[in-house]
Amino acid sequence: MKRSTTNIGEIGTTIEVGDYNFLFIRNMSATAVEELQHHAAVVIEAVNQDYVRMVATSIRANPSPDIYLKPIFLLKKDASETPLIDVLADDSVKNLSELESLLPLVGRIASRSQELTFINSISFEAQLITKIISLLYVRELKVIEPVPYTYSNICYYYPLLSVNFDHVDEYMALEILNIGEEDGIFRSEFVDRVYLCSTCSSGHLSYREVCPKCSSSDTTPDDVIHHFPCGYVGPMKDFSNQIDDKLDCPKCNKRLRHIGVDYDKPSIIHECNNCNHSFQDFYVNAKCLSCGDDRSVETLKATDIRRYHLTKKGELSAVKGLITTTKDIDEVIGTIKFDTFKTMLKYEIERLKQTEGSSNICAIHITNSSHVYSRLGSELQRGLLKDLVTVIRGNIRTADVIAFQSSSTIVLSMSDLPAKIGKRILNAIPELLHDLIKTRFDDLDVHFECRLVQLDYTKSDEVHLQELLEGYF
Amino acid sequence: MEELLDNYIRFLYTLTPKHFFEMFWFYFVFEFIRYFLLEFFVLNLAKVKQWVDRPKREDARRRLFIENPLVSILIPGKNEGKHIYKLVNSLREQTYKNIEIIVVDDGSDDDTPTIGRSLENARLITKFLRNDVRGGKASAANMALRFAKGKYIIHLDADCSYDLDAMENILIPFFMDENVGGVGGNVSVRNHKESLVTTLQAIEYFNTITTGRTVTSYLGIYRIISGAFGAFRADVLHQLKGWDIGPGLDGDITVKIRKKGYKIKFAQDANCLTSVPNTFKKLIKQRLRWDKSLVRFRMRKHKDVLFPNHSFRFLNFISAFENILYNVVLNFKWYVYLTIMLTFYRPLFVNIFITNVLLYTATNYVKFIMYSLYRPKAHASMSYFLVYLPCMVFYYGIYLRVVRTIAYLQELLFKKSYQDPWNPPKTSIHARYLGI
Ligand SMILES: [Zn+2]
Ligand SMILES: [Zn+2]
Ligand SMILES: [Zn+2]
Repeated sequence: MKRSTTNIGEIGTTIEVGDYNFLFIRNMSATAVEELQHHAAVVIEAVNQDYVRMVATSIRANPSPDIYLKPIFLLKKDASETPLIDVLADDSVKNLSELESLLPLVGRIASRSQELTFINSISFEAQLITKIISLLYVRELKVIEPVPYTYSNICYYYPLLSVNFDHVDEYMALEILNIGEEDGIFRSEFVDRVYLCSTCSSGHLSYREVCPKCSSSDTTPDDVIHHFPCGYVGPMKDFSNQIDDKLDCPKCNKRLRHIGVDYDKPSIIHECNNCNHSFQDFYVNAKCLSCGDDRSVETLKATDIRRYHLTKKGELSAVKGLITTTKDIDEVIGTIKFDTFKTMLKYEIERLKQTEGSSNICAIHITNSSHVYSRLGSELQRGLLKDLVTVIRGNIRTADVIAFQSSSTIVLSMSDLPAKIGKRILNAIPELLHDLIKTRFDDLDVHFECRLVQLDYTKSDEVHLQELLEGYF
Repeated sequence: MEELLDNYIRFLYTLTPKHFFEMFWFYFVFEFIRYFLLEFFVLNLAKVKQWVDRPKREDARRRLFIENPLVSILIPGKNEGKHIYKLVNSLREQTYKNIEIIVVDDGSDDDTPTIGRSLENARLITKFLRNDVRGGKASAANMALRFAKGKYIIHLDADCSYDLDAMENILIPFFMDENVGGVGGNVSVRNHKESLVTTLQAIEYFNTITTGRTVTSYLGIYRIISGAFGAFRADVLHQLKGWDIGPGLDGDITVKIRKKGYKIKFAQDANCLTSVPNTFKKLIKQRLRWDKSLVRFRMRKHKDVLFPNHSFRFLNFISAFENILYNVVLNFKWYVYLTIMLTFYRPLFVNIFITNVLLYTATNYVKFIMYSLYRPKAHASMSYFLVYLPCMVFYYGIYLRVVRTIAYLQELLFKKSYQDPWNPPKTSIHARYLGI
């Protein structure tokens, strides 16, 4: 997943139109898309396409519905069409004074956004399906259309979904859509078939004819000549002489006269310049331009690209909350449900009113969770979460509890412990987690952020949690 | 019938040794001396030598496996796709492993290309080469040879089958004598139980190939390496630039190798089974082609071996001379014998005929039983053939002789072999023009 924060400090301008605030982002300005939380919509000055794509992508890829659901408008002087950006954006205007005409749309999106229910699933797949059906529902769209796209790693892009993946992980969008279809959220129809590298799932392949023995494409074709009088058969080079460009038979030394009369060319033979193998039938190999794998086309993964339609069940899931049956990670051993955690927190605050003492709640947040999970898939994700819980469990007391607030945020309690000591324990955990991840997963970079909030019995449990989870999603 | 028998017994009683020879000289001079006494004598010598040479042979075998040279197996043919898979699979089980298999499809019009390509893709065949236009057997073999990389070349027919040690055994003679340029395998009849004509051919093959070639090989006059199973030194074949156009290219290449001064050997223990024509009619077609090629190649193309010149070699002379004498000359001599008998011994002709049949049949039995003792491995039980042996005199003495006569006359007088559709006309025209 794209890293959502590219914050370099400069902040877009806010334009008030009617009852709504628009965030206006000028061409090439450094922008924090998090600003969008406080706006109803965003207007991007569309001069440089790459820039627009970058900004639009980072909005739609953001994990927070407060950001990714917001309408995106383009300010562009001409009516040029750019397929990918046009799907990511909701509409365009020629100048800022036209923004007023967009107000009904902004209003509709805002009110439909209110109808949505988000169930915090730990499963990455469920999160993404929730996201895509929310985007569709809010915009009253029914179809997820694959767009042929040069920069896509699998040649087709599902703009609203594929933005969530790194280039190399794009094929996982197909898996997400499949899971959605299995759950009855989507139905689909065939659009095209692509062939993907069996190693890295890239669709950027170079096809060429190669030597069947050594796979080299450095080959030279030659006509085969049959000399009738003596029966000699060999490639044309056998017949050429040093003096003129006439052909002489190497067996009987006669000069070849007329094709069809004293000789013919019954076939063509290819000679490999690398291994000297001669052959008539090439192999066709596909070289992956991403990972360099060079193998027979038979090894490629034939993958269907389909058009997906949101079903009634899909629409309902957007409103009522998605319960996925296929890939949900319902419980990780050693944890309690987040609701139970909240109840226990309430009791702890009540207890503190009567007794003196210091209790804390903590959060460990994976700041790049979408990047991490998009690389892992749900099986490995479950494994990773289990490992994290085991490590945390080993560092806190048995009376303390652990819960998942979301797939990226783990909350835990540290009761009857001074905040200072709690902090020390908490801050030691990320290092242990990093060591563990290094042994279990190659080349996986996980970033953690830890927070501790000391309980204050004058405040409600809601306020405590808000403080603890501010900005985490 | 009774009268005939009485008559015959009286004939036997009155027979004096002088009369006997006068009436049966043909049998004595040719059949008895050449095909019985001489052959039996030499066969024994050959067997003794084989026995004496056992340590030498074992040493050659060891050196073959130590050197382990690449051997190219060439399988040229048209519409042979249906046989190839089975053949290739059996080749992989050979005791000799370092082989490359080159199949040349000579303009097949069935599914041979599909089969060949898929076997090549599965790496069961090293090279599958196809010519869309048919060029004839020689051109197909030459194409395979051109792209062969082996130190030895083995030529096979796709519809034959081979004993698992056949490749090993056909290669050993090269390691026993470095002057050996080619080795012929032992071809037997696979479908010997199919019909009377295949049974008779099985006996014939046993006599002329298994036994006959052991004898000629020992004498140094062995002259034809069967296309069904022959091994060659690759350098010799490359030097000759392969086969000339047929029919009869097997005998032709053998003569050319002999002319270069190399020895030709017969490997009796390199066993190959082939399917032979199953009707007398089909057999006539096949034999007409073979017999014509004897005239064409022995007497026309390679007549030089018969005359003393700079490249004269005694054994090559004997080889060709014996071949021409016992096949062509004798064939016509038989008609002389027949004419004399019909003219001067007319009243006794029936008795002479019966006596000849009995003499030949008796000889056949003795030969067959004695030679069978020398067969190391039998592909068919010997007793199966005993019932059929009496037919051999008619099969060999009359049927094949008549076919041969027709072939010789056709070729000598009309050069019929150049019209044989076995070769594409485009090549035959040139062969005829060049007189080869
Ligand atoms: Zn030529
Ligand atoms: Zn190569
Ligand atoms: Zn790849």
